[in-house]
Amino acid sequence: MMNLFRRGWRTRLMLVLAVIGPGFITASVDNDAGGIFTYSLAGAQFGYSLLWTMIPITVALVVVQEMAARMGAVTGKGLSDLIREEFGFRVTFLLMLALVVLNLTNIVAEFAGVASSLELFGVSKYVVVPAAAALVWVLVVRGTYESIEKIFLIASAFYVCYILAGVLAHPDWKAAAFATVTRPEAEGIRNYGYLYMVIGLVGTTIAPWMQFYLQASVVEKGVTPRQYRALRWDVILGCIFTDVVAWFIIVACAATLYASGHHDIGTNGADAALALRPLAGEYAYLLFAAGLFNASLFAASILPISTSYAVCEGLGFESGLDKKFHEAPVFYWLYTLLIVIGAGVLLIPRVPLVYVSVLSQVANGVVLPFVLIFMLLLTNDPELMGEHINSRAFNIIAWVTVTVTIVMTIAMVLTQR
Amino acid sequence: MSVVALSEMLGASVRDATGAVRGRVREVAVVPQDHPTRVAFLVVKTTDGERLVPGDDLTACGATIRVTGDAGLWERYTPSDGVLLLKRDLLDQQIIDVHGRKVVRVNDVELAAMPVGSRVTVDVVAVDVGARGAIRRLAKGAVPAFTMRALLEKIPPRVIPWQYVDLLETDPARRVKLKIAYGGLATLHPADIADIVEDLPPAERESVFETLDEEVAAEALEEIDPDIQVSIVESLDSNRAADIVEEMDPDAAADLLGDLTEDHSGQILREMEPDERREVTQLLEFGEHTAAGRMTTEYLAVPETSVVDDAIDALKAFEGSREALATIYLTGVSRKLVGAVPLVKIAISSPAAQLSQLSEPVISCAPDTPQDEVAALFDKYNLITLAVVDEHGRLAGIITADDVITMLRHA
Repeated sequence: MMNLFRRGWRTRLMLVLAVIGPGFITASVDNDAGGIFTYSLAGAQFGYSLLWTMIPITVALVVVQEMAARMGAVTGKGLSDLIREEFGFRVTFLLMLALVVLNLTNIVAEFAGVASSLELFGVSKYVVVPAAAALVWVLVVRGTYESIEKIFLIASAFYVCYILAGVLAHPDWKAAAFATVTRPEAEGIRNYGYLYMVIGLVGTTIAPWMQFYLQASVVEKGVTPRQYRALRWDVILGCIFTDVVAWFIIVACAATLYASGHHDIGTNGADAALALRPLAGEYAYLLFAAGLFNASLFAASILPISTSYAVCEGLGFESGLDKKFHEAPVFYWLYTLLIVIGAGVLLIPRVPLVYVSVLSQVANGVVLPFVLIFMLLLTNDPELMGEHINSRAFNIIAWVTVTVTIVMTIAMVLTQR
Repeated sequence: MSVVALSEMLGASVRDATGAVRGRVREVAVVPQDHPTRVAFLVVKTTDGERLVPGDDLTACGATIRVTGDAGLWERYTPSDGVLLLKRDLLDQQIIDVHGRKVVRVNDVELAAMPVGSRVTVDVVAVDVGARGAIRRLAKGAVPAFTMRALLEKIPPRVIPWQYVDLLETDPARRVKLKIAYGGLATLHPADIADIVEDLPPAERESVFETLDEEVAAEALEEIDPDIQVSIVESLDSNRAADIVEEMDPDAAADLLGDLTEDHSGQILREMEPDERREVTQLLEFGEHTAAGRMTTEYLAVPETSVVDDAIDALKAFEGSREALATIYLTGVSRKLVGAVPLVKIAISSPAAQLSQLSEPVISCAPDTPQDEVAALFDKYNLITLAVVDEHGRLAGIITADDVITMLRHA
């Protein structure tokens, strides 16, 4: 009896391991340069009192990512393919145009994260940025999906840096755990700055590009509807891991910066690391900086290629790394230009990076509602999804999640300055 | 004759003989069972629901569509299976461009309107996959029709003639009714078919493999990425899968079956013919990365006493793949390997010459030789084929150079 049970458990674990990757990677990349800064700020300004957002945010992330993964497994097509086939050329074209602009600003933000994290170690951005851009280009063009996925999974593991940094900060574990599961105090919600932070946390969590990337990598991995149950675990575990990392970032900053009254930590993730240095110690500082470098480079590797795939598939250009340059010129040019422009902007002296990050948040907010609504419509189409169509209960959760996310995101755009 | 784009027809107003607008075009339909290209009817949105306007009633087809006949007689439109709806089934969908050997997405459909007496007949002529169709659809409604035509003239067209288009339809029943047979695709080289199939979503891959001729399907399947091979074979029913696997090279078939679950490969093996099954099961017993795992059992061997003429007769009767024919092997008592004659020597020798006189020193390896040593032998002796012999010196199978190339590329 015992033996039987154990085998069942083992088989299930094997099934999950076989498809693990897409969900885990996508969720991890979600903690990019912008995300890390937002979490640091949340901890520095409000201590443990924002930890309650982590559970609802995880649920929202799971709901949205699950839809993308399911669509990929059932239809075997990317999100932009499906939008093109179901909603026509014009809608697709406009969406892809928006996606390119949006992702370009995100790419700039990621390269900025790479630059500022290595500046902490005294390396000039004029060296770092071109080197990082070349590395990203070569990694993706010369690698195969399997090898890249392995590298990315290892990169995901590096997020453990933040968990270690959180431990080194010696937080009050009991208070932090308690703050995670209690409901927020009504007083806080009336506070404008507090509300703005909540919106920021939701806004950095669900981004349009993630849906395109996740669905495309599920397709690329060849996950079939039968393997889908295992894939769902990949998505759920990925989302949980991501938010555990986020939780530790908040806790680390709350235990040190907030506790000692340092509420202002500058304008980016590297500033947050610097602020931590005298309070949390040298090791926590180094881990924080290394984590930021890893996260930014990771996201910078994924964004350009995911954008090129989405755009080329939606608009019907040849795409794929198995094609030669002259066979898929639009694909390779778009990919190359996204990296060159994304990295190049940073080399302009005195470029106002704050505006770029604001712009990327705004663009994110404008595009996200459309993407989420398209996803809901697609996952409710019986011709497309067959028996894997959204259930009624799932739809209620999904629509509530999507509506709240959209309202939050729009609110964030409107309050940007 | 004038060319009209599907995107221009969709939404165009439909006027009756008096010139009154009776509705707008919703869909353009072809019934392939009746005529492969002719527009059979239009679905028109009228104030009284969706109505069906027969293609025979058309008198003009362009930005405005004119029809004769009484609008009151237009039947109510009900969807049916054997009808190809150009907007739903073609526009924005993926198709196979047989001539260009790739999968493309349809930006627009070009139709030709030909006056016949007082009527016009409208036929599908080509599929637009270029910028012209894209811009037309993007600018539609925003730019006056006249300006747009002038503008579009300047863009070089990228179209695929209708006869080179293979539609993708995943529903088998509907596929039959629409007469979709992947006829064009089947004429391509199996390696090109493999490339195309790799670009398709799983359901479409399956539908292609359901209708391709078994021999073509087998050759194409051999060239496909192993992971995709597995997913295709898993999606086919075991009977069909067995028919295709039978036609494959035994070594490729063994590799494929080795990647399937035991249940599934067992099912397929049971459906196979006894001869093929025996060959494949033998190969399955060897490790994939050894000489035996890489070898095929379809080789040409003749008794050592044979003459050139006998070899030529054997060549004529040989059914295996051509790669295996570079060398003809000579066997003695109880299938012991005694010689090897290159095909070239047979071609240039007299019909009565003894093969044993033409034989070259035999290079062979044991079944459990690791694959990198196999590659080293090919390199050292400049081989095209290599014999694999068992512990009794009997010929078990051969490895061909193309297997070694595949092996090296995937190493």
